[in-house]
Amino acid sequence: MSNNLSKEFNIRDYLREDLMPHFLCPGCGHGIALRALLQAVHELEISKDQLAIVSGIGCSGRVGAYIDANTFHVTHGRPLAFATGLALARPDLEVVVITGDGDSLAIGGNHLIHACRRNLKMTCMMLNNEVYGMTGGQASPTTSQTRYTTTSPKGSIEPVFDACKLAEAAGAGFVGREVTLQMPSLKNLLKKCLQYDGFSFLEVISDCTEIFGRKNQLGTSPEMILNQKSSMRPDSYGNIVDEPFRPNFMKTGVLALNERPEYSATYRQHVARQLKSKEKK
Amino acid sequence: MKEIQIRLSGTGGQGLQLSAKMLAESLIQEGCQIAQSQSYEPTSRGGLSRADLVIGDEIPDYPLVTNLSALLIMDQLAAHASTDLIQPGGLVITDSKRVEDPPKGDFNLHALPLTETALKLGSARVANIIALGAMITLRDICKPAALESAVRRNAPRAFLELNIEALKTGFEMATKLS
Amino acid sequence: MSIKYQNLQGNHACALGAIAAGCRFFAGYPITPSSEIAERMSLELPKHEGVFIQMEDEIASMGAILGASMGGVKAMTATSGPGFSLKQENIGYAAGAEIPCVIANVMRGGPSTGMPTRPAQSDLMQARWGSHGGHPLIVITPGSVREIFDETVRAFQLSEKIRTPVIVLYDEVLGHLVETLPLSGAAHKITERKWADESPETFMPYAETTDLIPPMPRPGDGYRTHTTGLTHAEDGFPTQNPETVVKAMKRMLDKFELHQSEIESYETVCCEDAEVLVMTVGISARAAKHAVKTARQEGIKAGLFRPITLWPFPEKAFKKIISKVKTVVVPEMNTGQLSLEMERLCPKKTKIKSINRIDGEAIAPKEILSLLQSVAKK
Repeated sequence: MSNNLSKEFNIRDYLREDLMPHFLCPGCGHGIALRALLQAVHELEISKDQLAIVSGIGCSGRVGAYIDANTFHVTHGRPLAFATGLALARPDLEVVVITGDGDSLAIGGNHLIHACRRNLKMTCMMLNNEVYGMTGGQASPTTSQTRYTTTSPKGSIEPVFDACKLAEAAGAGFVGREVTLQMPSLKNLLKKCLQYDGFSFLEVISDCTEIFGRKNQLGTSPEMILNQKSSMRPDSYGNIVDEPFRPNFMKTGVLALNERPEYSATYRQHVARQLKSKEKK
Repeated sequence: MKEIQIRLSGTGGQGLQLSAKMLAESLIQEGCQIAQSQSYEPTSRGGLSRADLVIGDEIPDYPLVTNLSALLIMDQLAAHASTDLIQPGGLVITDSKRVEDPPKGDFNLHALPLTETALKLGSARVANIIALGAMITLRDICKPAALESAVRRNAPRAFLELNIEALKTGFEMATKLS
Repeated sequence: MSIKYQNLQGNHACALGAIAAGCRFFAGYPITPSSEIAERMSLELPKHEGVFIQMEDEIASMGAILGASMGGVKAMTATSGPGFSLKQENIGYAAGAEIPCVIANVMRGGPSTGMPTRPAQSDLMQARWGSHGGHPLIVITPGSVREIFDETVRAFQLSEKIRTPVIVLYDEVLGHLVETLPLSGAAHKITERKWADESPETFMPYAETTDLIPPMPRPGDGYRTHTTGLTHAEDGFPTQNPETVVKAMKRMLDKFELHQSEIESYETVCCEDAEVLVMTVGISARAAKHAVKTARQEGIKAGLFRPITLWPFPEKAFKKIISKVKTVVVPEMNTGQLSLEMERLCPKKTKIKSINRIDGEAIAPKEILSLLQSVAKK
């Protein structure tokens, strides 16, 4: 199968256009992340036939279906578990997991930390929009304190997860973060993820404009995305109770890079050794 | 052959499951077919433990014991748990040291110094092997040579000689009785 | 040539059956009384260049085998009661997206953590109805160590052919039972999945083929299809169109109906003229067989009907036998699950008598025999 790769990146080569118009709300950051991913795939000349996208449930989970590749839309929180089986059974595939803050930090949190620990080659792109968008805007593990959601009507009081610190502490070989405003940088980070020989985790700060933004009066979509860089994006990861809207101090870029043995290769070497010692006997 | 049912009972960690495995291996060498079952509690050491064998020319319809031809009791904890299942005239071997209050009924009871003898040989852990040796001598279950080769295959290498000695001690202990 | 024999444990037989059937991926999580399946797989799979992985939990194990299966590798997991509950959502995914997979559930006493080392037969209904949403699947209930081996092989064959999860369901007694079996070198039929081989441009991953089982697209072969747990159309993409949704479910149900003769499996003992029929599975059926044979020696017209494929229930075969039967005896190690099925299938005039044990002990032959004797006296 030819992939009809034209030299210049044309997103249409990578989308299932039959499915358009897509279901994302106007201003949603997920589309930007999708474009960045596809451009990274294009620039690395990864074959669409070899690309396997595994996604969970939620707005993030639906993004995968628009990609013209082998796409698996699985159960809530479990894309990393499915992807672990797929990547181990088929090391020839390029496995990318698209997940969300609820999908991978709440219901699927266990799979995230163990995927980080194992270091099986795959890219995990977590779209963090601070909210359960698809179910109507409930609080997630990354909803900043004081923010309004349909399940924190008087403002959230729960501390939040720093997904990147979590991933790094759990042993992920590659950890990065970027905002959707910085599209070229996001694309370059995704390229690094795809090239990394192990488990790479990328948190993408993406805006839920229609539900979360509106509820918290964060402004129009363009205002929200610009605020990712300037003053209004809350530092989700500090103690912000006293000073809820501090300028954004979140670190972006490559946050951790460790050379660790890739799990699939380690497993296969382990098996080869066993077979060899059996032959000797 | 007529179906034979055996139970080895005691507490977890006494080597009963391994003993049953060794007996089962010797039996298939002699052309029998067996069903071996177990019962244990969720602790690796201590707690009631039993290993059962149903032996015949073919695999039995019902694989669990219902009518014991031979019963080994290695601990007081197991002393009265199987009394209802012993067939009239059946063989019951108890450890004279660890079973103070043995079951009473219409069967041939032998209280043998299993643990005491094992300690004299060097380790209480071979009491089960002495018991196996005694049991197959008192009730014709399988040939001593078949059991000896099964013990040789399954015993930890470092303790192989000790296990063989224990088995032979078991044979002798029973021979003296009969 | 004399046949050599070995003593094999039920759980090990399950693992070896899987290997013989071509299983090359196992993901599991430790749980009593099924752990020996995972332990044996961790030894055997490397010898066949397969993958064994111990996952972080039961849900992940189920997810991982589905990932492997979607990648084209025959895959299995094994568990027991609590773990089986946790796997249900992903079992439903496998049913809905038609992903072949085999799940062994070694039943222990419940509810909840229950009695981890004691047997029960309390997941018979959960195996059929455990996952939400309503869907068909296959549940096989072997009755001996030999049968655990053979039926695990058949579970893979059915799963791959019919594109469905297949559950191999047996109790702790059978899981830990060691029985003598011939050491056979006989090769088992490895069912190859029907792979898509038509043009990717026109390929529909859930097309209504004549056998009602659409071929699967293998990732990497150029099909680039979409697989989802959402209700989907023939092209694999989500839809909530009522007609399409109903049509898709109907194909799935019809698929089982069309291939029923292959799915169906049962054993009958002395059923020809039986007036009192024992109906049960697993270890309880072993006790029943003993009781029925003894009852026959006493002149009681007793018989045994033992489903080997429990779900879908071998309804036609059972109905042929039941017409002449006056009383059905249902021994089971739960509070009455198979007896519900008997109430559904037996004519109104048939008496149904249950024997239920929930104390972590197997039902003994004499319990069944004494009921057969008292039924015969009346």
